[in-house]
Amino acid sequence: MNSVDKKTYFDVAATTPLDPEVANLMHDINLSFFGNPSSIHQFGQKAHNILEKSRKKISSILNCHESEIIFTSGGTESNNIVLKSILKKGDHLITSSYEHPAILKVAKNLESKGVFVTYIDPTIEGKINSEDIKKAIQQNTKLISIMYANNEIGSINPIKEIANICNDNNILFHSDAVQCIGKIPIDLSNQKIDFISIAAHKFYGPKSIGILYISRKNNIDPLFIGGGQEKGIRPGTENISLIAGMSLALEIATNNMEENISHISRMEKTLEEELNKNNINYKINGKNRLPGLLNISFHNIEGQTLLMNLDMAGIAISYGSACSSGSSKPSDVLIKIGIDEKIAQNSVRISIGKFIKKDDILNLVDNIKMVIPEPNKKVENIG
Amino acid sequence: MDNKKVLVAMSGGVDSSVTLLKIIEAGYNPIGITMKLWEYKNVGGNNLQDNNCCAVESINNAKLVCDRLGVPHYTIDFTGDFKENVIDNFVDEYISGRTPNPCVRCNSYVKWDTFIKQADKLNAKYIATGHYAIIKKNEDDYKIYRAKDKIKDQSYVLWGVPQNTLSRTILPLGDLTKSEVRQIARDNNLETAETPESMEICFVADNNYKRFIKEYDKERTSKIKNGKTLDEAGNVLAENPGYINYTIGQRKGIGISNEKPLYVKEIDAKNNEITVSEKKSLFSSKCYISNLNWLIKNYQYPMDINCQIRYNGSIAPATLSIKNDKVHVEFETPQLAITPGQSIVFYDNKEALLGGGIIELN
Repeated sequence: MNSVDKKTYFDVAATTPLDPEVANLMHDINLSFFGNPSSIHQFGQKAHNILEKSRKKISSILNCHESEIIFTSGGTESNNIVLKSILKKGDHLITSSYEHPAILKVAKNLESKGVFVTYIDPTIEGKINSEDIKKAIQQNTKLISIMYANNEIGSINPIKEIANICNDNNILFHSDAVQCIGKIPIDLSNQKIDFISIAAHKFYGPKSIGILYISRKNNIDPLFIGGGQEKGIRPGTENISLIAGMSLALEIATNNMEENISHISRMEKTLEEELNKNNINYKINGKNRLPGLLNISFHNIEGQTLLMNLDMAGIAISYGSACSSGSSKPSDVLIKIGIDEKIAQNSVRISIGKFIKKDDILNLVDNIKMVIPEPNKKVENIG
Repeated sequence: MDNKKVLVAMSGGVDSSVTLLKIIEAGYNPIGITMKLWEYKNVGGNNLQDNNCCAVESINNAKLVCDRLGVPHYTIDFTGDFKENVIDNFVDEYISGRTPNPCVRCNSYVKWDTFIKQADKLNAKYIATGHYAIIKKNEDDYKIYRAKDKIKDQSYVLWGVPQNTLSRTILPLGDLTKSEVRQIARDNNLETAETPESMEICFVADNNYKRFIKEYDKERTSKIKNGKTLDEAGNVLAENPGYINYTIGQRKGIGISNEKPLYVKEIDAKNNEITVSEKKSLFSSKCYISNLNWLIKNYQYPMDINCQIRYNGSIAPATLSIKNDKVHVEFETPQLAITPGQSIVFYDNKEALLGGGIIELN
């Protein structure tokens, strides 16, 4: 009953499958190198060397110094460390109104503790204008935190411009780059970014492991207090299989980046062509997007209904912002970029991974066509 | 529409789990849907303690049961519909000095209406729920009957269900007793076999509806100051903490010593007064009906009919008649604590639900 032989996954923006090579490496490390990296004996030394080799590899890929890489449990923790450590009562934070909850809710929480926050709204294209940031700067502005690319529409922000503004005004700059690392080239040596949040499970690495990049000129207070691991910024015994797995996943993603981008872009183009060929009306929200991350509005079908129908046909997409119970509401991000609530309700996120083939796209479009009541009707103009 | 597809409302309790099982046994293709109606933490709930439907644990249980039975499961957010149709009215009614029945409104406006619309969207012909009641087709009409388990019978809260949805509704538990349902769940190793009975008011986490109302509508409830407690002759007996703390028929918390126990007989929200009396004065024979909904086509006044004026109450024969455009009820024998805001529900001699409405006095 309802069992589907073939399952197709169009939700890599939520999380990616684990690369088998990474899974094998982690498996081997888990079995062979259980030592505590802080222990002095051979067991500890072996583990410690895996930890530090991973750190070196990651820093050479991101083109930063190895001392600037702090291992955390992922994007949420990295974001929390930066905001909660930097901002004290009376300080001013500038962020955007369409950040991930791991920024937005932290900011709201800090507001209740006497931190002032300005939320910059994105444009209809889904990006944050650097001019808007400039205008929001106050005397007490301590930190600016703007996501590298948005997780629901994929639009990429002018991070270099914003970093320069911060630098000119002597303000710290953080960027949540969880959606970007491993997907588009990012070289930290030529950007004036102070902090970056990274999560391995968005680039075919394991979950519950990530990075907080802290540029060397900065010092930061820890959220957790304990042993001296990660220079005391993130104490707790390191999970070296997760860390080595992340390092290998980042290496694979970086080595194949050009190839992946061109394949995913080709698949994205195929999707558009097939929707057009089938006379299905749609509108892609946002501009200057990450390859393969599409937020699409259709006519006369709620995103949630489309999701459920596709899921029962074995195709996974995403709708709105999910919560712990698995229910969802129309995406706040779409509302923030100025899309009408009704159209936001009719919008879904389709994110294409490196493993997607043309057949998968054809299957997706076939099923969309079957589910949409009037596929050919025009989606209201939202510009 | 797919005649084999059934949307099953899954609260995460034992009843809806067995409903799903019965639907599978009957050869249908079910989809499990949890209707998320309420977020407890909004009004005084504790996420780590909540153990009611709509709490994360219950939704997780619904998912586990669906997974065990190989059925897809989705949670759909209906919190907006529920707040608007059920909770706002619940609070308004209490603030007006009345005693509402939120389950009736939930079934009338949210569970059936919204759920049928959801079935349309997923191309499903039927919906199924774990209500204890029976739907039978007689000639062209579908009728609701009392459940086999008279203690669990929920037909009383179904009088407002849109008649035209009955032909698309399956209630597989109507012919089962609660203990049979539990046994079926145990026999099938369902995760929910031992879940506790659901509470009286599902959205009030601690069952303390007075606290809920005060927290939900601080603005209006904070204006309700201490009120007066009167006897039947209108003499002031005492001061009380405000009418909002009382319901008709209430004995506890009156705080006046008397030879025989005193009960709340009337609530006057406008003047912030309650009238108390001994039990014998709480009996009366008359009321009238608002929001009347007939589930049958043929009715005429005056009419002799079997009424039920509270959940799990017993049958009271009465005569309905029209006076001044209102449908009046005169009971054969005086009834205890006829309470405005509660439902009055009609049955025939074969226990078919004929309709219902809201009790009004004065």
